[in-house]
Amino acid sequence: MGLEQVYWTLPIVAYPFISGLIAGSFIVGSLSKIFGQKQYEPLAKLSLLVTLAFILFAPVGPLADSRQPSRWWELYTRAHIPEAPMGLFTIIWTTYVIVVIAEIYLAFRAPLHQLSEVTPGWKGRLYHWLTLGSTGMSEMRLRREHKWLVILAGFGIFLAFSFHGYIGFIFGAIKARPLWHNALMMPMFITSAILSGIALMIIVYSIVFRYFSFHRKVDSALVDGLMKIMIWVLLVDLFLDVVDILNSAPVAYTDQATASGFAEIFLHGPLTGAYWIGQLGLLVVALTLALFRGIRTSPLWASVASFAALISIWFMRYNTVIGGQLQPKVSQGVVLYSPALFGRGSMQIVFGLFMFILFVFSLLLMVFPWDDEATKHRLFHSTQLTNHGEQNRSTNKMLEH
Amino acid sequence: MAEDDVHVEQNNARQMGNQESRREFLKQALKVGGVVGIATVIGGPVGAVKALASTETKQNATDGSAINWEGWEDPQLNVNDGWNNWDKILNPDNLPIYHDHFDEIKKVKPKHHWVMVIDLRKCVGCQSCTVACKSENNIPIGYYRTWVDVAEIGSTLQTSLGNTVTANGTYEQQIKIRNIPKLCNHCDNPPCVTVCPVKATFKRADGPVLVDPRLCIGCGTCVNACPYDARYINPISHTADKCTLCVERIDEGLLPACVTTCVGRARIFGDLNDPTSEVSKLLASNPVQVRKPEMGTDPQVFYIGLNGEISTENDPEAENLIYTYTMNTNSTAYQQLAGKSLLK
Repeated sequence: MGLEQVYWTLPIVAYPFISGLIAGSFIVGSLSKIFGQKQYEPLAKLSLLVTLAFILFAPVGPLADSRQPSRWWELYTRAHIPEAPMGLFTIIWTTYVIVVIAEIYLAFRAPLHQLSEVTPGWKGRLYHWLTLGSTGMSEMRLRREHKWLVILAGFGIFLAFSFHGYIGFIFGAIKARPLWHNALMMPMFITSAILSGIALMIIVYSIVFRYFSFHRKVDSALVDGLMKIMIWVLLVDLFLDVVDILNSAPVAYTDQATASGFAEIFLHGPLTGAYWIGQLGLLVVALTLALFRGIRTSPLWASVASFAALISIWFMRYNTVIGGQLQPKVSQGVVLYSPALFGRGSMQIVFGLFMFILFVFSLLLMVFPWDDEATKHRLFHSTQLTNHGEQNRSTNKMLEH
Repeated sequence: MAEDDVHVEQNNARQMGNQESRREFLKQALKVGGVVGIATVIGGPVGAVKALASTETKQNATDGSAINWEGWEDPQLNVNDGWNNWDKILNPDNLPIYHDHFDEIKKVKPKHHWVMVIDLRKCVGCQSCTVACKSENNIPIGYYRTWVDVAEIGSTLQTSLGNTVTANGTYEQQIKIRNIPKLCNHCDNPPCVTVCPVKATFKRADGPVLVDPRLCIGCGTCVNACPYDARYINPISHTADKCTLCVERIDEGLLPACVTTCVGRARIFGDLNDPTSEVSKLLASNPVQVRKPEMGTDPQVFYIGLNGEISTENDPEAENLIYTYTMNTNSTAYQQLAGKSLLK
């Protein structure tokens, strides 16, 4: 026994948050392939890059929180599967990374190959290298690739659910923490994962297409559509939150520890504001905003509503991870905790983590041809160049402006 | 004039003395530096060679002086160093170990089944066991493998027949103090072992739940999973750490340090497989309780005279803990007790 303290700190809060974004953005990316929603096609490639940037950093959270991260290899060589929930992470994460990379390869191979033929210099070589030297462009091959893309996306959705379901399992399996030992943990985590992924994709789509795409234009119908999906997921998430609160009432008759823990942490304790205003209040704000058509179709306001949802999900992770550990196991009172600014398990770590993700995402945006319009234009432009020579370049440029 | 001369002479002498002392100081500093430097240059390799050459003798040394215990400050836990041979410390007889499916332990019919019985009627709350454990196992400051919680129940009543007489009236103090030694329960169904992602922690067939500090990644899942808060992250080795039932002692036929030191003989350690052992007899002749039986962990530390767990509720009617040095000071309850200003 040490002094009872919060053992899992901020990086573990960031861990389900980031995993949720992966699961959600992957599902948004699969809308056009699996669910046949063709209007979301422009999002497909972008969301794959978002997923990759986040998934590469998903294990950094728990590794930054563990005290001997250099022994990560033990997770592969001595994996305790399926008994240890954390051990499942190794399997699911590794599979997911492979699936996402395969999916990215299949989605980007054809445009990369086309671009490598028209781009001179090291960039062209990089494109060629990224296709792994595969040059086949026959109709049949492209169709087969698309078929595999759909299969992988379906498998990826299954993985997205298990990836986030098992995070609920990590907390739900620990019966020593009454606030975690909850059957609702898994569905709550899965729903909030999808919600945060959609919210993130609305923001990323609005920013990236407004400032970095070929047409510099955001399709407000697409944003509207995503917002409409978000409303439904918001409702389910809110419903589960309400069920969780209502559930703590009958639990009070059977399980004193859960009831008193809920009361002394979330009703009149250190996380009262974080729960009622941060988690539930912002969710209601996001839902209210999303109900207005004017807000749904305006990329700026839709982003604001999505940001409110994202912050609410962050609070949900915080309340779960930190809140569960504030209840003491053998001593009295509520365990004291305030997040550190610098050092192990601090805000600095979480900030750095998100900056790393942003950096990798920017890098991916620069390398991969995620914008179909820009790719089309570049291919068209270069064929014109070869046909009509240097003179046309200036006229093309003028047309562009 | 003469006085002036004396002054000059004195000044000169002082200056010369100053110069001389400075020179002396420099000389001495160089000498000390040189000695230290040479000692480092020679001593380093000599020490290393000595350490390499003498592992065998150290392993066999019995007087304690030659044991090269480098403490937790060497987290490399070098196997070549005799004391740090964790295979020998944790499981010298290569007993079967279990990471899950603990019901299969019965099938291998282990020779021993180590348990501890704590007779609360005999505990005086002296905390000797706490100290003995810290001393035996080199536990960092602020962490405990065993501790004695002290609880108080009752109230001070104003009655005419009270034995406490004050100017305001007579009182009767109806207060009971209860001391409850706590440690890892070495559960037969340990929830901390199943959740370990790298199989670093295990249950040995004869009972003790142990951690291999060479494998632990320090993720903290087991610390969270233990309902008794018996585990902690060792701040020096950066791995999960817990009571080992003094496994290196019991394998040599000794008692755990806390049992040896217990002045009231409240702690009794023994083999449940042996029907003539003291623990078997105690368990057969006394009603015994375990901590938090509702967790389904099947604890193997039994208490005589434990009427339920001490309440952690903020309820004046409940049994509440008194703040000893093993209590959690990192809580709102302690804040209330000490006043917020004292903590800052």
